[in-house]
Amino acid sequence: MRLVLRGGRLLDGAGDRGVHDLYVRDGVIEGLDLGGAVDQEVDAEGRLVTPAFLDLHVHLRDPGQEVKEDLASGLAAAAAGGYGTVVSMANTDPVVDDPGIVADLVARAARVAGARLRPAAAISKGLRGEELTDMAALRAAGAVMVTDDGVPVADSRLFRSACEYAAELGLVVQTHSEEPSLRDGGVMHESAVSQRLGLPGNPDAAEAVMIFRDGEVARLTGARVHLAHVSSRRGLEVATWLKASGAPVTVEVTPQHLTLTDESLAGFDPVYKVAPPLRTADDVAALRAALAGGAVDSIGTDHAPHTLAEKQQDMLSAPFGIANLEVAFPLLYTRLVAAGELPLERLLWLLQDGPARVMGWPAPRLDPGAPADVTVLDLETERAVEGARFRSKAKHTPWEGEPLKGWPVATLVAGRAVHLAG
Amino acid sequence: MIGAAAQVPPPPTPPAAAARRHRHLLDFTDWTAEEVVSLLDTAEVMAQVLARPVKRVPALQGYTVATLFFEDSTRTRLSFERAARAQSADVISFAAGGSSLRKGESIRDTLRTIEQLQADLYVVRHPSAGVPHQLARWTNGAVVNAGDGRHAHPTQALLDAYTLRAALTAAGLPPAERERPFTGRRLAVVGDVEHSRVARSNAELFTLLGGEVVLCGPAALLPRELSRLPGVHLTADLREAVTGADAVMALRIQHERLGPKRLPSLAEYVARYQVRPAHLELAAPHAFVMHPGPLNRDVEVASELADGERSLVERQVASGVPVRMAVLYSLLVGKK
Repeated sequence: MRLVLRGGRLLDGAGDRGVHDLYVRDGVIEGLDLGGAVDQEVDAEGRLVTPAFLDLHVHLRDPGQEVKEDLASGLAAAAAGGYGTVVSMANTDPVVDDPGIVADLVARAARVAGARLRPAAAISKGLRGEELTDMAALRAAGAVMVTDDGVPVADSRLFRSACEYAAELGLVVQTHSEEPSLRDGGVMHESAVSQRLGLPGNPDAAEAVMIFRDGEVARLTGARVHLAHVSSRRGLEVATWLKASGAPVTVEVTPQHLTLTDESLAGFDPVYKVAPPLRTADDVAALRAALAGGAVDSIGTDHAPHTLAEKQQDMLSAPFGIANLEVAFPLLYTRLVAAGELPLERLLWLLQDGPARVMGWPAPRLDPGAPADVTVLDLETERAVEGARFRSKAKHTPWEGEPLKGWPVATLVAGRAVHLAG
Repeated sequence: MIGAAAQVPPPPTPPAAAARRHRHLLDFTDWTAEEVVSLLDTAEVMAQVLARPVKRVPALQGYTVATLFFEDSTRTRLSFERAARAQSADVISFAAGGSSLRKGESIRDTLRTIEQLQADLYVVRHPSAGVPHQLARWTNGAVVNAGDGRHAHPTQALLDAYTLRAALTAAGLPPAERERPFTGRRLAVVGDVEHSRVARSNAELFTLLGGEVVLCGPAALLPRELSRLPGVHLTADLREAVTGADAVMALRIQHERLGPKRLPSLAEYVARYQVRPAHLELAAPHAFVMHPGPLNRDVEVASELADGERSLVERQVASGVPVRMAVLYSLLVGKK
């Protein structure tokens, strides 16, 4: 199988390589402008050709919650969003706390046309925060990360042990850093807005406190701790201090925390209910300012699909989460890069080299011999977000109708076009 | 009965055009003082109707009002139903305590079912803030918020304003400004402010009508962020809160719901925050005592005050029907 991406501008972490035909053969990049017969040709003229994105934080709801999402819909959604690799979270039903479940995910994902799946496994059995999982067996079955994401690990002793095992096994520990008793029953950021709306608040202190604990335990054990979805100025400041003082932590931020505020909740629409909660404009400004420097290591989507009926419950009952794999890049490109706030190269770094470095994976490149995981971006055409066109089963989105640029028009995974727009 | 009712003329004052601008009463976010005052004036006309031998007018004949209570409240529901029937509307009651709703069923699903009954107006109470707003987005009918979580209870605030305006007028202190009847007046609200939709709606309405509001309670139940609302002050000191107040409103304490992490003991609360005669001496000479009910006797307010001559507690309850009549009338008439 030989394929050519014709006439695109090539850009990766090594720099701008100019306009070329990129040839791909048998799953790997073959070279530039080679000519010769191909099985498939993809027009990339006027488009940007760049390594497919890595997302260390998606909820694919498989096994057990296929009404929300499954491997086929979730990995297709990822590919449509320009992603070539995603790390799936363990809070499924049953929880991914057993090597058999990991192996089954890996095997089934290999048969799906979409992004590559690298599953995360749980830190604690059943995400109950009481007993450690068998991390060595989980790793052997294919798990690349351990996390109880969705449920903060309340027990510090258990968290310490988890970090000790993970450090020895070379697994990344990802944390959902919110102190549970301070978070309490909060359904949105605690602020003047939550008080006006009469909705139970979740203060930024809950995040800052837990990031501090998680970071100090990382320092104590030497585990590589990836702080998921840092959402507040206070949380970010603690994380930045931890990094500066040598703790082995990395920081993830999400598209929603970079673009939406707690004022979005004023209409009482659970589509904006997410954990951690949408914060204030000041928090958004702090996160955005941190993107350009070294304070943020990766952008993860925290793609968290739910059914429309679940999201049309009341604000207390509706589940947390925003499905966003298919709008993440256009949203960030339009709001940050096209708006002149962030260089394109930096946004790409946060979706490519940044997450690769967090995981200890090779930096994705367009070099001969590298895996042919490539995305083609149309940075010019403006198109309104249409949830109805999502490959994800969750077709409701906070950005419905918003005109965005930067749509992924093609995504190759292992040399195969798993997404082709139009 | 129907025949007799038909001979009674409808209320003489039609709702002000301003009040008709609104399809729903969810909270007072988009309401002007003038619109609220026109509602209070309409409620006075309704009170005259209720003073007649035949307490019924045909104003809402042919309309259907549905009460949707996802949380028990017999008093509020009966008050709304009485307000609807006194205007000859048909009434449908839908009571759905948590258990009767299928788990996972969305409130939109529930609404779809109820909409088959073709009501013109839905009176909604729900334990979650925002449900009336959500239903208002999905239905063609009018929605009246009868209490949503900690967020709002606008008809309670309206009946409190109606009661206090009348009491001040009767005491020889009529409003200096018709459109802002509480200009220069101060309301002290005492108790579990954080969990109280009554406190929030009263803070919103009383300040809209020109007054100042002091919110008072134990610090753990007094959200600092509420002081950002214009015209609203916070204090944990009851004596400071009541000093110079024109009315002192005590909120219902639900100790069993709060638990020992939020409130050490009921005895401590009573010692520090019960409104007693000595407090009223610090207030304005004419100051009134209010409570949204139901009253925990000798917890929030000393009985001698709750039962005393400056208490408006019974008049608050009595104001519920005319005020809710005015709300239903203003939202429905002229819309069909």
